[in-house]
Amino acid sequence: MTDTLPAPATDAEPNDPAPRGPRVPLIPTPLEALGMLWRRLRRMSTALMLLFALALATLIATFIPQEPVIASTVRLWRTGEEGPGETIAAVFDALSLFDVFGSWWFGALTVLLLVSLTGCLLPRWKVFARNVRKPPVRGRNLGRLSHSVTLPRPEGLSEDEILTRSRAAFRTFRTRVLRPEDGPAQLAIERGHWREFGSLVFHTSFYVLLLGMTLGAAFSFTGQKDFAEGTFFADTPVGYDTFTAGSLWGTEDHNGHLVTLDDFDVTYLPDGFTPDDFVSTVTFGEGDDAVTREIRVNHPVHHEGLTYYQRAFGFAPLVQLRSGLDGQPLYEERLILRDNGGFWTARGKVSVGNPNAEDPLPQIGIEVLFLPDASFADDGTVQFNSPEANDPRMLVTLYVDSDLGLDRAVPLSRLEWPAEAQVDQTMITPGNPVALAGGLFVVEFADLSMWSGLQISHQPYRWVLLTAASLTLMGLIPSLYAYRRRMWVQVEQDHVVVAGVAQHRKVRFDETFDGLVDRVADRLGVDRATEPLTTGSPS
Amino acid sequence: MTDSVTDLMVDSAMAATSNTLFNVAFFIYLVAMIAYFFRLAFTRVSADGVSASTAAGRRVGWAGLGLLVVGFGVHLTSFVMRGLAAGRVPWGNMYEYGSGIALLAIGAALVVVQRKYGHLVGFVIAAALLMMTTSLLLFTDAGPLVPALESYWLQIHVSAMMFSSSVFIVAFVATALYLVKDRAETKLAATATYGGSTVGAAQAVKPKADPAEVEGRIGELEVDESEVLASPTAQREVLNPMLFPVVPFAVVLTFVLLVWRAPVAAMIAASVAALIGSSVWYAIPHLPPAAKLDNLAYRTTAFAFPLITFGIMCGAIWAEEAWGRYWGWDPKETGSFVTWVLYASYLHARSTHGWRGRRAAWVGVVAFTALLITYYAVNLFVVGLHSYAGV
Repeated sequence: MTDTLPAPATDAEPNDPAPRGPRVPLIPTPLEALGMLWRRLRRMSTALMLLFALALATLIATFIPQEPVIASTVRLWRTGEEGPGETIAAVFDALSLFDVFGSWWFGALTVLLLVSLTGCLLPRWKVFARNVRKPPVRGRNLGRLSHSVTLPRPEGLSEDEILTRSRAAFRTFRTRVLRPEDGPAQLAIERGHWREFGSLVFHTSFYVLLLGMTLGAAFSFTGQKDFAEGTFFADTPVGYDTFTAGSLWGTEDHNGHLVTLDDFDVTYLPDGFTPDDFVSTVTFGEGDDAVTREIRVNHPVHHEGLTYYQRAFGFAPLVQLRSGLDGQPLYEERLILRDNGGFWTARGKVSVGNPNAEDPLPQIGIEVLFLPDASFADDGTVQFNSPEANDPRMLVTLYVDSDLGLDRAVPLSRLEWPAEAQVDQTMITPGNPVALAGGLFVVEFADLSMWSGLQISHQPYRWVLLTAASLTLMGLIPSLYAYRRRMWVQVEQDHVVVAGVAQHRKVRFDETFDGLVDRVADRLGVDRATEPLTTGSPS
Repeated sequence: MTDSVTDLMVDSAMAATSNTLFNVAFFIYLVAMIAYFFRLAFTRVSADGVSASTAAGRRVGWAGLGLLVVGFGVHLTSFVMRGLAAGRVPWGNMYEYGSGIALLAIGAALVVVQRKYGHLVGFVIAAALLMMTTSLLLFTDAGPLVPALESYWLQIHVSAMMFSSSVFIVAFVATALYLVKDRAETKLAATATYGGSTVGAAQAVKPKADPAEVEGRIGELEVDESEVLASPTAQREVLNPMLFPVVPFAVVLTFVLLVWRAPVAAMIAASVAALIGSSVWYAIPHLPPAAKLDNLAYRTTAFAFPLITFGIMCGAIWAEEAWGRYWGWDPKETGSFVTWVLYASYLHARSTHGWRGRRAAWVGVVAFTALLITYYAVNLFVVGLHSYAGV
């Protein structure tokens, strides 16, 4: 994964550790096939290709709606109402393109990538450990290296003195004095193992990051809950409005504690409409163990392995419906209203009827449209004065029909209620009951509170990931900037040769080589300018 | 942060001054760019890569540098005032972000490019100007942020992304010019072996200037004429001049039409791109040797890559804090992941045998395209959590 330049002299670079195996038989046995696959996976190019494929998969997921994210759009694509049509949607489904990150092939890609990275990294660590312990080696044919300069031999200095002085010029390098029997004495100099070390740290931490993300996703849980002030929910699968859980998260992983919304507050910016801050005051548990905490945007609360985030908020009015004949309560619900461009709306189920009985009862549904503070112009347009409930009003519409779809397991907002089922409509304000449908019903806007939408999640291994991410970054710097180079100072009869070669970043070495030679010349007290005997050329 | 947002109303006078200064900086940059292009045209590069400006070229070059520094100062003032006006860090929407990228790209041009690769500064300014134009297309009045955007991590995340993007712009300029220069060099080397046809080509298209004036210009050159081994225009002649205006025109036109659906702006931007393309063609012989351009591309990418890695990580930390998950394959996250992988591939390709050189450079071009798409298209088209960062 680093440079695959032909290395000088002795050691081979550990870039492509896959050995060139014997010729592959035409029809390999399963074992041989496995061996071939392993050899192929051990190549860095394979790892890179797999990473590329992973990136491509994520791109697909950007342009094709993903079921876990926007299930409604995926439904429209499947029925052909949106997107490229039913047939193509069926093909997408067959390839699980509507759930790329949950698909078997994405999982397989990730596993292959992890295996491939293991296969790449282990041998590289081994080679690195061996190389880093090896002292600088003897250089031969210095005149033929990419950089070689001949300096005059300083008068009156012994070989030892020259080598010692030269050594002082390379304090930050690893050096070794060599006195071979068959050649002149040498100072071997080396630097830049940092590059390979950084690269290995980078790749290994990236590996841990991938592993942690994959496992983390499998053990993760994310749920959403919208609930009104004064109400509570329990951490159980049925307690959440919606949730997504990783494949290894089970029901038994919920701890079942209660979460009660004591209070919700929102403040607005001076423009009056942009929410500035919203805070939920929440009590976890009950009795003596109860803990009360505040959850606000960007300031989540951690409690018993789960993290609670402030996600959304809105109005939650208490709507009551009584019989107009005997005052018997028919319906009472704290509605969770959704914002539809300034209008807050919701629907309620008053009666699901009994269509199969002898004396069938109709289904009754209620629809409310809430205005926190709005005024109506003469031409019928609405002007929103404030997002705060300074003048709360609610338009209530009653629907009665033999089939409103209330007995179906479909969110009420998605049901089609025919206009002819509309029985009556009225505007109500808090505390003022109004008769509906000629006195058959009485509807009351009992009181108004807020609801808060929380996101509750369990994301394991966050610290592992953070550590791995930091190490990835720390490894990156030396792997990009450090570079391995070797130099030699060789003392000959009447001159001193300073030579060097870089394995990476040759242009950079080119720029620094002269300075290093100058340093040696300084220490030796010779003037190099007199003899510009530079041979060789930068590659 | 929260307090300052609620307490301070937007200072509209200061915001207006900031906008004016932005426009002033734009025009100063424009003039500086032209000056740098003049400097380029008044320079000759001998075949061994030594370049020398004529006296006039040097004077215009100094003027360009002066203008660029002044423009940078004005732009910086505009940027800071924008922040003061809104009472927050000035990188809260796409206009400010684009302005910041352009500012930092100019900064990078002054710090990294000016000293050793002075001829390239004009092209970096051109890229910054295109960035500023798109920024103007996305103009938003100064205002406070929605609460989810008020975070310590966000400021680090966005500034790291902004900084790395600006350096990637410089890397892209170097990469693109490298591709052109390398092609010219190899093609010229190939034709030269087939017997001097380049000489004919060079003479077939004569410079439009008056011969006497050309003589005068050459007379001012400090290098010995005999050292100029190849015909200065030969590198230019081996490449098809039509491609240089046409390709950038088509690419920019499609891009602006697709992203903004603004035909007039698209035509203007595309024409500017065509002009820059033609300048590139004219500049080929004057550009530094391909190997130097490649080196600049590598160094800038090697600088920006750890930065973008850091930026993405901060984004993940912020996402964890704000949305309850550190990585959710939101379109923006996916886009930045793809960009990251592509730049990582570039760095690998550059040191892999058989990929080094032009193939690696193409990976760099693709990576920069991914960066642009992630920035513009995902923000403006694809609905995701980042879309409320808004225009």
